[in-house]
Amino acid sequence: MLTISHLTKTYGDKRAVDDLSLHIAPGEIYGFIGHNGAGKTTTIKSCCGILGFDSGEITIDGVSMKENPLVCKSKLAYIPDNPDLYDFMTGIQYLNFVADVFGVPADERQKKIRELADAFEITDALAEAISSYSHGMKQKLAIISALIHSPKLIIMDEPFVGLDPKASHLLKQLMRKICDDGGAIFFSTHVLEVAEKLCDKIAIIKNGKLIQSGTVEEVKGDTSLEDVFLELEEEK
Amino acid sequence: MIKALFKKQMLEVFSWVYFDRKNGKNRSKGGIIGYAALYLLLFGFLGVFFFQMAKTLCKPLSDAGLGWLYFALMGLIAVAMGVFGSVFNTYSSLYKAKDNDFLLSLPVPSGKILMIRLCGVYFMGLMYELIIAIPTILVYFISVKPTVLSVVLNLLLPLVLSVFVLTLSCILGFFVAIISSKVKRKNIITVILSLVFIAAYYYVYAKSYQIIQSILAAPEKVGNSVKSILYPFYRMGLGAEGDVLSYLIFTLMVAALFFVTYLVLSRSFLSIATANKGAAKKAYKEKAAKTSSIEKALLLKELRNFLGCSVYMLNCGLGIVMMPIAAVAVLIKGADLSAILSEILGEHANVLPLLAAAAVCMLCSMNDITSPSVSLEGKNLWLVQSFPVPAKKVLHAKLQLHLILTVIPAALLAVCLCIAFKISLPYAILILAFILIFIFLMALIGLALNLKMPNLNWTDPTVPVKQSLCVMIALFGGWAIVMALGGLYLLVMKFITPLVFLITACVVLAVICVLLLKWIDTKGAKIFETL
Repeated sequence: MLTISHLTKTYGDKRAVDDLSLHIAPGEIYGFIGHNGAGKTTTIKSCCGILGFDSGEITIDGVSMKENPLVCKSKLAYIPDNPDLYDFMTGIQYLNFVADVFGVPADERQKKIRELADAFEITDALAEAISSYSHGMKQKLAIISALIHSPKLIIMDEPFVGLDPKASHLLKQLMRKICDDGGAIFFSTHVLEVAEKLCDKIAIIKNGKLIQSGTVEEVKGDTSLEDVFLELEEEK
Repeated sequence: MIKALFKKQMLEVFSWVYFDRKNGKNRSKGGIIGYAALYLLLFGFLGVFFFQMAKTLCKPLSDAGLGWLYFALMGLIAVAMGVFGSVFNTYSSLYKAKDNDFLLSLPVPSGKILMIRLCGVYFMGLMYELIIAIPTILVYFISVKPTVLSVVLNLLLPLVLSVFVLTLSCILGFFVAIISSKVKRKNIITVILSLVFIAAYYYVYAKSYQIIQSILAAPEKVGNSVKSILYPFYRMGLGAEGDVLSYLIFTLMVAALFFVTYLVLSRSFLSIATANKGAAKKAYKEKAAKTSSIEKALLLKELRNFLGCSVYMLNCGLGIVMMPIAAVAVLIKGADLSAILSEILGEHANVLPLLAAAAVCMLCSMNDITSPSVSLEGKNLWLVQSFPVPAKKVLHAKLQLHLILTVIPAALLAVCLCIAFKISLPYAILILAFILIFIFLMALIGLALNLKMPNLNWTDPTVPVKQSLCVMIALFGGWAIVMALGGLYLLVMKFITPLVFLITACVVLAVICVLLLKWIDTKGAKIFETL
């Protein structure tokens, strides 16, 4: 579903991402772990077509992000670490806006909005301006807007930050369901317990370079993911 | 602790001098001096205006034995200026302060926090009040031989008067807070109130000479009215002339009023500062969903952004209001205007259609909707960048909004001018075409400028709107283009008729529009994608 081949991205002299290669297959929840400034967000933004990159290739469902960014973007949904949404819109206006952009038919969007807003318990707040939302509510709205067009691939940057335990649980269930239905999820997180329990595969990035990847069992072996991560971080 | 808090409050109040909101950094020493000098110059300019006003009033009133009326009238203006300048500051620093939670977590009584905040408001009010108080006192010292006591009381007066300003600001700020929490469309209300204020300001400014003359014509009558309706100001005026008892009465009145206000505020401060006074929550009721095309959805997004930001509306959409007002004025006074202009122009009366087109274009330039539109994406830019929508379409939505909001009022004004100036239909159609091309050109110029000079790192929309070079260039650039075309016509008027000039201008501007649109669709879109 998502293939990253030899991705390199530099900011001035600094190599934020250095020759990174990953493959996320349909049905997989792929966790992306690394210290602050390791290059996770740069990789994620490159995969979403928000950031350009110096070399390498990113394909989504076999389509090149460099050559056909719009086709790629129509297949994916992105949820950033800090959901800066349009404060001047109400929740429902924002959801309708995103649905219009992705061409979601009226009955389909209505059903999705109803289901997801009820599940995340923000239905009552949909008439309110987004500027009045808390961080968690904005995060919930961003998640609903990401799911509204039934994307094949969901890319998320720290999706659990700001969510209450119930919403976190619900998101985990939805992530699993999406992948069981043939979708794929690529997400970054600092919560190693979540990654260990939820992911099928994990990649660890350090200073822009991939230092470990594979199934959770392959990466952690007999120890915990936390021990492996800390050990790899300490290695020079 | 209190000293530290006071220092923090003063830093906050005067942050505009040393802190550059545009880049989020402190200004250099040179920058601080330059910025402070600029403001001093501006204050000085206003001061000169009030100096002239004071000069006109002081001597005649003092000679008539009504020196107190001079101080009362100038005091009233000073209070109005101080309250206007600090009422919104009062609202934001008392009820909207971002550090309220932090300060309330400190081991400081809430009453002292309130007092520290009021100090900030006090100094802000004093600053505005001094613009009038300084010339008032200077003129008095120059025109009338004051006693030593009068000099001392005069120098102390602004400090007392500023307490009165503070009290009024607190009361008005309280009402602003209440209205703000109840009103649904705050931005529209802010724009309307601002426009009403601007209109009132210009009206009073235009009539100030007549007002002063009517006061001087019947000072006794005015004096009696002030004495009966505004008694504290009567006492203040007497005090300023050296009457210690009156001065004390005025000071006591101000102190009592402030004390009562402070008591009310201190009792409610904690609940106001911690409670969310927002309007009652409106529960969502599901309605049948309607779909829109991508183009319409993007245009609606731009419109909501425009209507959701009063600063954007006021600074970049003033033409929307000015043009219909001008259209009505033309309908009423158009015939007179046409006659006057025809008389002035004499044998060159055939340039009237050109003047009509130029006037509309000048007002069209007051709409600079596209010029901050890229910057206003701010932190939300990731959204449009992550959507499967070509950047070109996003930019076209910005252009469309500018065109829709400008073309309609401009066409209205143009039609009114054509009727008033009795311009023939073919000529009128040509004028309309020229205006449409000009509006399109200005929209393109504004967008191109903002693509070249975007500022996405802001927390307050006033930064990309009010402190933007793009907006300034677009505004003055529009006027410059009109004036350049006017100058060009003066150079070639011996060789070509106004009609030929207008057709040529239309063609030239249209070609520039095509080239600019092509640049926006290609290079501009590329810039937008990589911002």
